[in-house]
Amino acid sequence: MTETTRDEKLFDAFATLADTLVAGYDVMDLLQSLVDYCHDLLDVDSAGILLANLRGELEVVASTSEANTVVEIMQLDADAGPCTQAFHERIVVSVPDTEVDTDRWPAFSKSARSQGIRSVYAIPLRLRETTIGTLNLMRDQPGELNPYDVRAAQALADVATIGILQERAVSDASAIRDQLQHALSSRVVIEQAKGVVAETAKLSMDAAFDRIRSHARSHQMPLSQVARQLVGGELRL
Amino acid sequence: MTADAFRDASETVSDPATDIADLARPFVGLLRVSGASVSTFGPFLDARTISATDERAGRIDELQFDLGEGPCWDALTTRRPVIEPDLASSTAWPVFAEAVRGQRVGAIFAFPLVLGPLELGAVDLYSDSPRSLEVEQQRQALALSSIVSRILLRHVVSGAQPVTGTFSRRLVHQATGMVLAQLETTPEDAYLVIQGRAFAENRSMRDVAEDIIERRIRFSTRPEEETQ
Repeated sequence: MTETTRDEKLFDAFATLADTLVAGYDVMDLLQSLVDYCHDLLDVDSAGILLANLRGELEVVASTSEANTVVEIMQLDADAGPCTQAFHERIVVSVPDTEVDTDRWPAFSKSARSQGIRSVYAIPLRLRETTIGTLNLMRDQPGELNPYDVRAAQALADVATIGILQERAVSDASAIRDQLQHALSSRVVIEQAKGVVAETAKLSMDAAFDRIRSHARSHQMPLSQVARQLVGGELRL
Repeated sequence: MTADAFRDASETVSDPATDIADLARPFVGLLRVSGASVSTFGPFLDARTISATDERAGRIDELQFDLGEGPCWDALTTRRPVIEPDLASSTAWPVFAEAVRGQRVGAIFAFPLVLGPLELGAVDLYSDSPRSLEVEQQRQALALSSIVSRILLRHVVSGAQPVTGTFSRRLVHQATGMVLAQLETTPEDAYLVIQGRAFAENRSMRDVAEDIIERRIRFSTRPEEETQ
């Protein structure tokens, strides 16, 4: 894509995100839009957002692919990979080539390679002194992310942080914890809802997610609300 | 009056402070029978009296386990209440009836303890003299039994390994969604069913969850429909 088109799209994305933050939103919808923007606007093949739970483990809360194979790689990364390092050291961590860089995180690098992932970038989600999770970007090609993408990704990561913490005004540490817990438990209901639709409509988990999402969009309902209705048996897709 | 009695009984069994050895007592209070017992047996759990209000109630359980016949077996197999207002004139369980002769068992009732596809055991109630249970009483006994089923299953699986790893938990949540749709139940019950299945097969919940997601396991409350 040409620079101009991309600039315009980025501008549109941030304008839309700003509107969302002002107008009120469902945190799951926001995070899903963010990973989709990463995929559409940056030179990456998949993206995910991971948040730390009460045990301090990073959990995937939004991802451009709901295929369990992709999520599992991000989760491996969260256990021992660039993500964990980015989270704990509060720095951007890059793995330019998973075929060369095999020693740092053997298990992660191996499964990343087996899924055709050649390079990975992990960006911490920070608010002042607190790190709440990471934004994870993955590419099928080796190489560093270009500086332009790095900057855009950092800005998207910041929006994610603000979005998670500001859904309700968050000031102190316990409120931050509550807000993270809220986002993570919304994810639990979405996973359950995927299962419900996978069962009733005989779909794969990622197709089930697509169906839930398109229903939410066409009815202008928050993703979490659609998920709750599916789990509660009030809605059938 | 009966609504209050039912509320008291269900609060007592639901109270986390209630020992499982005391689960039978509220049935006596609610239904004014002479004695009650709660027992596990069947394909999933070992035959064991969990709670009995008196010696006779325990003895009635034991005889049925030993003989392999009796109201509790029928209740579990059919997943429906068994109501025998007059045991002496019944022809349903000749060996069992003979064995309890002389123990002053006039009427006997049994209610199944099941959760989704899992058959856990039964509640047995007896009365000194012949009598029946009204439809409303049967309904209340069934409702109380279904609370007891959940408590028993939670108790049984409480020693099981928790699900470790965030990815494993994600799979378990997906499987929970599939099972709740299969059984038309709540996420809590669906989770408990997966947990029970994992416990019964001595496998991890993640393994069972993967089988559910890959559609190698499907749950149904009609056992013949369940695939292995």
